[in-house]
Amino acid sequence: MPEARDVIIIGAGHNGLITAFYLAKAGFKPLVLERRPVVGGCAITEEFHPGFRGSRLAHNTGPIRSDIVADMELSRHGLKAYTPTVRVLSLAPGGNLLLYGDQVRSQQEIARLSTKDAEQYGEFQQALTRIADVASLLMNIAPPDIDEPGANNLWELLNTGRKIRGLGERDLYRVLRWAPMAVADLAAEWFETELVRGTIAAQGIFGTFLGPWSAGSGAVLLLRAASDSNLAGAASYVVGGTGALTAAMAAAAQAAGAEIRTACEVSRIAVNNDAATGVVMANGEEIRGRAIISNADPRRTLLGLVEAQHLQPSFLQKLQHYRGNGTVAKVNLALSGLPAFNGIEGDVTARLSGKIQVSPEIDYLERAFDASKYGEFSQRPYLEVTIPTLWDNSLAPAGKHVMSIYMQYAPYRLRNADWNARREALGNTVVDTLAEYAPNLPSLIEAREVITPQDLEETYGLTGGHIFHGELALDQLFTMRPLLDCAQYRTPVRNLYLCGSGTHPGTGLNGMSGANAAREILKALRK
Amino acid sequence: MATSSHQYDAIVIGGGHNGLVNAAYLARAGKKVLVLERRHVLGGAACTEEIIPGFKFSVCSYVVSLLRPEIIRDLDLPRHGLEILPLDGTFTPMPSGDYLWRVNDHGKTIRELRRHSRVDAEAYEEFGKAMLQMCRFVKPILAMVPPDPTTLNPKDLFKLLFLGRRFQDLSREDRYNQVQLMTMSAIDFLDQWFETDVLKATMSASGIIGTFLGVRSPGTAYVLLHHYMGEIDGAFRAWGFARGGTGAISNAIADAARELGVEIKPKTAVAQILVRDGRAVGVATASGEEYRAPIVCSSVDPNLTFLKMLEPQHLSDDFRGEVKRYKYRGSSGKLNLALDGLPNFTCLPGEGHHLRGAISISPSVDYMERAYDDAKYGDYSRRPYIDIVIPSLTDPSVAPPGKHVMSCFVQYAPYKLKNGTWDEKREAFGDNVIDTIAEYAPNLKNIIVGRQVVTPLDLEREWGLTEGNIFQGELSLEQLFFLRPVPGWARYKTPVKNLWMCGSATHPGGGIMGAPGRLAALEILKHARAS
Repeated sequence: MPEARDVIIIGAGHNGLITAFYLAKAGFKPLVLERRPVVGGCAITEEFHPGFRGSRLAHNTGPIRSDIVADMELSRHGLKAYTPTVRVLSLAPGGNLLLYGDQVRSQQEIARLSTKDAEQYGEFQQALTRIADVASLLMNIAPPDIDEPGANNLWELLNTGRKIRGLGERDLYRVLRWAPMAVADLAAEWFETELVRGTIAAQGIFGTFLGPWSAGSGAVLLLRAASDSNLAGAASYVVGGTGALTAAMAAAAQAAGAEIRTACEVSRIAVNNDAATGVVMANGEEIRGRAIISNADPRRTLLGLVEAQHLQPSFLQKLQHYRGNGTVAKVNLALSGLPAFNGIEGDVTARLSGKIQVSPEIDYLERAFDASKYGEFSQRPYLEVTIPTLWDNSLAPAGKHVMSIYMQYAPYRLRNADWNARREALGNTVVDTLAEYAPNLPSLIEAREVITPQDLEETYGLTGGHIFHGELALDQLFTMRPLLDCAQYRTPVRNLYLCGSGTHPGTGLNGMSGANAAREILKALRK
Repeated sequence: MATSSHQYDAIVIGGGHNGLVNAAYLARAGKKVLVLERRHVLGGAACTEEIIPGFKFSVCSYVVSLLRPEIIRDLDLPRHGLEILPLDGTFTPMPSGDYLWRVNDHGKTIRELRRHSRVDAEAYEEFGKAMLQMCRFVKPILAMVPPDPTTLNPKDLFKLLFLGRRFQDLSREDRYNQVQLMTMSAIDFLDQWFETDVLKATMSASGIIGTFLGVRSPGTAYVLLHHYMGEIDGAFRAWGFARGGTGAISNAIADAARELGVEIKPKTAVAQILVRDGRAVGVATASGEEYRAPIVCSSVDPNLTFLKMLEPQHLSDDFRGEVKRYKYRGSSGKLNLALDGLPNFTCLPGEGHHLRGAISISPSVDYMERAYDDAKYGDYSRRPYIDIVIPSLTDPSVAPPGKHVMSCFVQYAPYKLKNGTWDEKREAFGDNVIDTIAEYAPNLKNIIVGRQVVTPLDLEREWGLTEGNIFQGELSLEQLFFLRPVPGWARYKTPVKNLWMCGSATHPGGGIMGAPGRLAALEILKHARAS
């Protein structure tokens, strides 16, 4: 007899662990199966060079929604979050810009460039905060089913709708205008300084196949603002790297009654009479379950783990067209010392503690994007950098540093080249770009790790190397994430559910997809 | 002082096709209407002019398909001289020496597509059916005054509900397509259907016309649909010429309007909209004359209407701010050529039927996208997208015997150039277009007897289109439906009482459609009856 469990969760990424926790708390006994030897998915801390550890992939959290942190008692399970006072140090050849968590301080910094922009920043920030408060409500509900909106759905929607109306006409029209807009236009409506525009616009393009001039990048900015409404974006770190976050989540899930098995690869989801009945492991072993929940991306789940005969051809076709080719690469550097950035004096540690961004102007970002349209990586990329060792001495030998860099755009599909052949070229481009602002950087590098979109797919299981499990485009959000037909965490296969970033609301390490999925799945399980 | 002869029931600013349609509908309801047009010819951007003796150019707008059938019917336009001649197909020459030639004859097109890809030939039929469904869904929206999504007015809620219901009634597949069309890029949308690059490039072109977007920019799929919606004699996606050029359409509408009693004064520029006690009461012309009416309807764009013709104190700063934010960003130019022969395309030599349709210079998706890239950074495209028609083949009346008129719509030509001015670059821009076409039809340079280059700056100066946008404002998602032109003011009304808008800057937007003019007239009349 095969082993039988009530709930099986495929993948121990942060969303899978959150779903496991809530189901366990509700009295189920979820079994979480993780292919890799460690839990965490993309939120992992690993040694990438002897003595140097770091957030190998994701280094910044959304942050995780506060009620999830409270429910899971993550602090008790060892989570130490760190939020620097400086959110962004935005580098530019003509002088840098610092933005703080505190609006007034940010305004003071912007005033050095333009008093008009400083004033506008306040107004924009306040409008965004009001809108984000309401947007975050939308993040917390399951998108309504268009075919048969249930009473529950309608009630939730009505309730949210009432609150949305409460925004008032002016802000409401703002949401309607901003979402489909190009973030470059949005930034230009508020600011006259290129550096301010570029710094803010970067929030609307991160992780996507959109440039600042692409329509719909406004929606990405709003989506991220729903987790943290600061115009400079979130700078929410974890002491010990993001792996410490998922370790705390795993501990919380286990304490609630979930079982987690690592190095257990699911090779197939067993389906009988259009219903999922269990999973088949890579070693041939089968585990049966009442409900199968996949934290893997929608394409990997439904095109990879479910056999094609169980799905309608039209559904398969739509899923094949689900856009999810990544644009982000990751570079981890082991440094023998702290690089000296041009123009950074005084309290260097504080100034370098937040995100260090290379997004000096809109055209710079757009040109970076242009390359990816033609299948090349950006010669002067958008970079988001953090040096965690400034506030976390557990990651590197004393006096040495770790630098963690998101690089965009690195298209999943290169034209006329293979990523393995271009890996080092990408690493050089990143270092060269940063060296323009920190000339001594190259001399400090002891080791360098380059993770390409192809690695993200092959090693970490992200189809197309997309860090958000699928493009954040207007036609792939809310009731359409991942598809119009299955945006309620359900799939066309009965008892098979999705809980990863490929479901509403997706985007970054905020845990909302996992928490929403748990709520919807519980409703179904209790029926 | 205004004399009694200057008193009307309604004054329409601008004698473009929308202004004329608006005037005609108001007159039809018994109003005494005056139309004031700044230029010496009527029609706005839908005009025919003899720039070179014997050659009649449709100077700006050059083909028609979107003109609403109900307007043709209501105003009996055929009796007033409107005759639409079919434009047969689209011919795309390719650098490889091959070509793609789609025609109205379905069987022929499928055979041609099969030459490029069997899969695409099959998908093409499905695609046509799906688009037809989408057009049917969107069509009522074109004839609808946009609801206000922020109020709790039952009428508006009902409209939103109606839209919701219609959406729910669509089949699963159609709903899916609809959502995608509203949000995707033309290329992402077409990628799902087709594999042939040149086919996707040519089809995607209608998704960028008049916008400052590339074929890969989200939102362009909607513009694709907007252009698909053309309807001539009940057939969707049918494009044609007006006999005598597009000016003939405006003339037919003007003729119908005059018959209904409308007075039309060309060469009369409105300088100011007169406001008393918060109400529009008339207009003052550049020459100092005043005309009075309890209804003033502007068919010119919001920039001219609100920022140039109205004194600032009549509008709130917020509203003026919204008007300033409304985006124009013209992105296209025109090259009109007088020819003493026909272009000879290397890939399909001779004077065949392929010259009677549209000739599209859109050889690949990357070509289209690179054309956009140039414009993003403030330059006109080194190798632009060009939509060419030779109306004299179908309508010999527009050129001397044996000679021809060739109209080239060129994109991208950004209004704001990074280096130099359009006055300096005009001829170089024209040369660049000719060089581009000559790569496919080398004889072109030898048959040109005259040319007219129309830049975005010319469109602004001569036709009053701010920043040279041919649709009086970009057709981007945040400027459509209840957001066009300004959030909260999408229903032809303005914050100044008795002042209305009826141009392409209002829902449903640009093209020779006439819908804004008609819908505005219906709103004005409803309002007049209610008060």
